[in-house]
Amino acid sequence: MAAKPIASPIPVALYPTLSVFTLTIGLVITAIFFIYETTSSRKNRSLGKELATSAVASVFLGFGSLFLLLASGVYV
Amino acid sequence: MAARIGIFAVVVAVFLSIPAFSSAQDLQIVNAERRIDLSSHIVKDFLTLKVENIGISPAAEMLLAFSPTQIKNLAMVQALAITGKKKKKTYLPLDVKPAEQPDAPNDTGYYRVTFVSPLGPGETVSLEVLYILTNSLEPFPVEITQSESQLVYYHDSAVILSPYHVKQQTTFVKTPSTRVESFTSIEPANRAGKEIKYGPYENRASYSYAPVIIHFENNSPFAVVEELVREIEISHWGSLQITEHYRLTHGGARHKGVFSRVDYQSKRSVSGASSFNALLAVLPPRVNSVYYRDDIGNISTSHLRTGFRKSELEFEPRYPLFGGWRATFIIGYRVPLEDYLFEASDGRRYLNFTFGCPLVETIVNKLTIKVVLPEGSKDPYAILPFTVNQDLQVKYSYLDIVGRTVVVLQKDNVVPTHNVPFQVYYTFKPIYMLAEPFMLVSAFFFVFVASLAYVHIDLNIARK
Repeated sequence: MAAKPIASPIPVALYPTLSVFTLTIGLVITAIFFIYETTSSRKNRSLGKELATSAVASVFLGFGSLFLLLASGVYV
Repeated sequence: MAARIGIFAVVVAVFLSIPAFSSAQDLQIVNAERRIDLSSHIVKDFLTLKVENIGISPAAEMLLAFSPTQIKNLAMVQALAITGKKKKKTYLPLDVKPAEQPDAPNDTGYYRVTFVSPLGPGETVSLEVLYILTNSLEPFPVEITQSESQLVYYHDSAVILSPYHVKQQTTFVKTPSTRVESFTSIEPANRAGKEIKYGPYENRASYSYAPVIIHFENNSPFAVVEELVREIEISHWGSLQITEHYRLTHGGARHKGVFSRVDYQSKRSVSGASSFNALLAVLPPRVNSVYYRDDIGNISTSHLRTGFRKSELEFEPRYPLFGGWRATFIIGYRVPLEDYLFEASDGRRYLNFTFGCPLVETIVNKLTIKVVLPEGSKDPYAILPFTVNQDLQVKYSYLDIVGRTVVVLQKDNVVPTHNVPFQVYYTFKPIYMLAEPFMLVSAFFFVFVASLAYVHIDLNIARK
């Protein structure tokens, strides 16, 4: 009748490291997105590229901020 | 929803539907020995009974009788059946439930003890009963100054109140110190040091009662928590956060006159003999982020010792507590999730936690435990070994849309013997954990879409 303990899907000790890496990658992709916005002219802009970059950036930033919250003790 | 929350677990309901019981005159108590421990403000009574069935039909249970004042102050009743002799004794826990008898004389209260196997005619069984009384020591004098010692009254009966005939009985009363002002003497009664012996009494009829009053000195800390609210927040991301709000009082003789700090510090053994200034809380072993604060701020007079089996937090309120004084504070700590959350065989998750108050030798007048389940949990269900009032609430916390279900368990008159594990079951689909990061991702995506819209919208009036 051994009960199976439930733990977090990601080891708790990894939260600070994960938050730093995901946030860095997210901010780099955000930078790519804004550089694209400012350096391209109205004619050359491709909406698909913009949306793809922003989607990937928001995923990384979203998970990064979640891990940042967990690492700082706010267990949401 | 309310219909699904039962006050009793299903197992308890089965025990309540016991078949016919034998009448009170079928059993007889051959020998009874009672030991009353008055060392602290929680009165512990140990009864060793030898019960014989003098009827013709097997008896499945017996009744324990208590006077009306005792029934009000009774915190817990436990019974064990003793089998074997001398060194090979084994103890089996028995089921004890409050019982109602329609023909009870003088408002006597009853508890029904169910035997392991029905007692045949002519057979005897040995039982050990433990019952705990709270608020039973009445301070007299009611008010004392700082330099006086605390004296209390204890009201009880020299003869054990029982619905059965008792052939032989003795009562031993243990006091915390050798100072006993007076005690009612019901022959044969004598006192030696810290022990008062009432008995042996022979052949007492059922429901015989001989009231006695013992007036003695008791300077043990009368720590009473008037109200304790414990909130256990489960986060599937890896931790259990426990926050406890205490309202602590000194429940002994009220303090009158001035409080002299000089006297208190210089003559500590004489001054404030019944006051206390330190308390001990027993916390789980792998505890971290412990804080102790009140409305003013952090209280630094505390020591935390972590260990392998338990952690101890020794803390002091901002001032020593004398009779009638109060202290309000909050203790919070975090424990890892895998120590307390498990998966049952049918796929449901359950929290296995300890009920009661972590403070040692303390009575809690009103205890509320709130188990906050993560968002997306369904069908909460609590299982406890004793009766509590159950309720459901909703709490809105970080990144919540629909709110978190809170299982509220409420119990009055809680003593340290109530610190037993209890379980709260609920169902949870792991996919709901992604709701929180999804909310954050969509918030960031909204910012990007807004900046895209700003860049793409052409607000020029003139055509280029």
